[in-house]
Amino acid sequence: MFTILEKTAVILELELRKMKHDQSDLLIRAIQPVLWLTIFGSVFRQFRQLPIGDVSYLSFITPGVLAQSVLFIAIFTGVSLVWERDLGQLDRLLAAPAPRTSIVLGKAFSGGVKGLFQAGVIFAIAFVMGVDLIPNPIYILGVIGVVFVFGVCFSSMSIFVTTLLNTRERVMGMMQLLTMPLFFASNALYPIEIMPRWLQIVSLINPMSYVVEALRALMITGDLSRLPIALGGMAIATFIFIGAAALAFRRVGR
Amino acid sequence: MSRAVTVANLSKNYGRIKALDDISFEVDEREIFGFLGPNGAGKTTAIKIMLGLTRAAKGHVEIFGIDVQSKPDKARENIGYVSQNLSLSNEITGYENLLISAKLYGVPSSIRKSRITEIMDLLGIQNRADDLVKKYSGGMMRRLEIGAALVHRPKLLILDEPTIGLDPQIRLVVRELLRRLVNEFGITIFLTTHDMGEADELCEKIAIINNGRIGVVGTPTNLKRSVGGDTIQFDTKEPEKAVSILTGKFGVTKPIAKNNTISMIVNTAETILPLLINTLARAGVIVDAIHSHRPTLDDVFLKYAGSRLAEVEREGDYRHVKEVRRTFRRMR
Repeated sequence: MFTILEKTAVILELELRKMKHDQSDLLIRAIQPVLWLTIFGSVFRQFRQLPIGDVSYLSFITPGVLAQSVLFIAIFTGVSLVWERDLGQLDRLLAAPAPRTSIVLGKAFSGGVKGLFQAGVIFAIAFVMGVDLIPNPIYILGVIGVVFVFGVCFSSMSIFVTTLLNTRERVMGMMQLLTMPLFFASNALYPIEIMPRWLQIVSLINPMSYVVEALRALMITGDLSRLPIALGGMAIATFIFIGAAALAFRRVGR
Repeated sequence: MSRAVTVANLSKNYGRIKALDDISFEVDEREIFGFLGPNGAGKTTAIKIMLGLTRAAKGHVEIFGIDVQSKPDKARENIGYVSQNLSLSNEITGYENLLISAKLYGVPSSIRKSRITEIMDLLGIQNRADDLVKKYSGGMMRRLEIGAALVHRPKLLILDEPTIGLDPQIRLVVRELLRRLVNEFGITIFLTTHDMGEADELCEKIAIINNGRIGVVGTPTNLKRSVGGDTIQFDTKEPEKAVSILTGKFGVTKPIAKNNTISMIVNTAETILPLLINTLARAGVIVDAIHSHRPTLDDVFLKYAGSRLAEVEREGDYRHVKEVRRTFRRMR
């Protein structure tokens, strides 16, 4: 167990060092949430019919946009893994005396850390745009925790999918296919109540809904009554995906 | 001298293709042992099994007495592996790559720094330590790659085509480095190559491998001697007729025809050449061109693998070199 954690830390360090030398990826990725908030948010705030409680629409979607941008970053973890495998960079890690699970965990944790950068950017933008964020440091710590776990969860999912699909083209296609329903069949942009019945059921098994719910409680509403359910949903999804990724990754390179 | 690698009766199939077919060999400590064979011969598969990355269908591998299948992590602690592709992270510096390798292989933190400096000095890239690897030349990348495999002071270094895709001059530098590792540090080296010159010059022992089988194992000198004589090669428009005439004559066992070229091994080419041309002329077979040469490893390959190395791999190899060069470019 100790070895796994130790080697996980090394893989994570490798990823963070790569990030340190090239932050362009993070910067470019910070643009999209800005656009969501400024373009989509500004237009849709005009509709007053949405039952979103007594918060502004911009405040309502800020946690959704944060979750989405972490989702995009996390999904890319798998894509970069296939890329590294095709280049032969993965060979070196596989041939080292490190458990394979530590490679999966290290990569997944790096997805979590990258997610935190996104959170920082979105907090800054939301603040500038006048979104009412709860300034309580404990809540902010909660947001950091949720974003990190969410990044790990979807990075693991993308590693799992990648390992199953095997080629870069398929992975890209599949990821695009997955992100659309994950995002729109969730409460990121509108409340679940306005969805048709069948979609409500879909959103119930969509881990994204739980993440947005937790983030919304911690960032905007301060209503923690449903937080345990949200965190529970996230925890279950995270364990399932880490397990699936670790199992699937055993096949790689054999 | 003790044994570094023992490979016994290894077989591996990929679907219906026999990647390895019952191969066995041994590598002694402080030896440079080479697998010589074309692409697709089974070289990389053998390495993957030796590293415990792939399971063999049959047979077993021991690295310094440790069984790889049952204790892969333990065995890998003794192995430094340099893969055919460039496996370094090009987005970080040379120093950082070595640091990550050191941590990955569990080099204690107290000696990590001195170990890395030592390796940088050995490779002659100390002044580029803090540059991103993508700014390195192909030769420097390859040297750093070897360096990264050495940080944990392995007793065995496994290299898959260490000089493929490199310029001839840089090949010499890499070969020199490998020789130093054996002479100064007592490392054992197992490498694969499709380059006869490299096998001949660098390796103390060679295994000829083709289609997943080992044809023969021996020192380059002994192998060349075992070919038994000179090679005569000639072109004719009637290869079948020529073969039937020559079979059994001049001590030739079986001439091998490939398209319109016939190859055969004889004791001394100088005396046999005129006889051969006369014999063929009398039978009405016209020789278009003819030449002879002293044995090379290619002849060894011909004798034990049944074809010429250069011919087996011309097509595949060209594509392969192109691919490796492309990764070099991609890395930058």
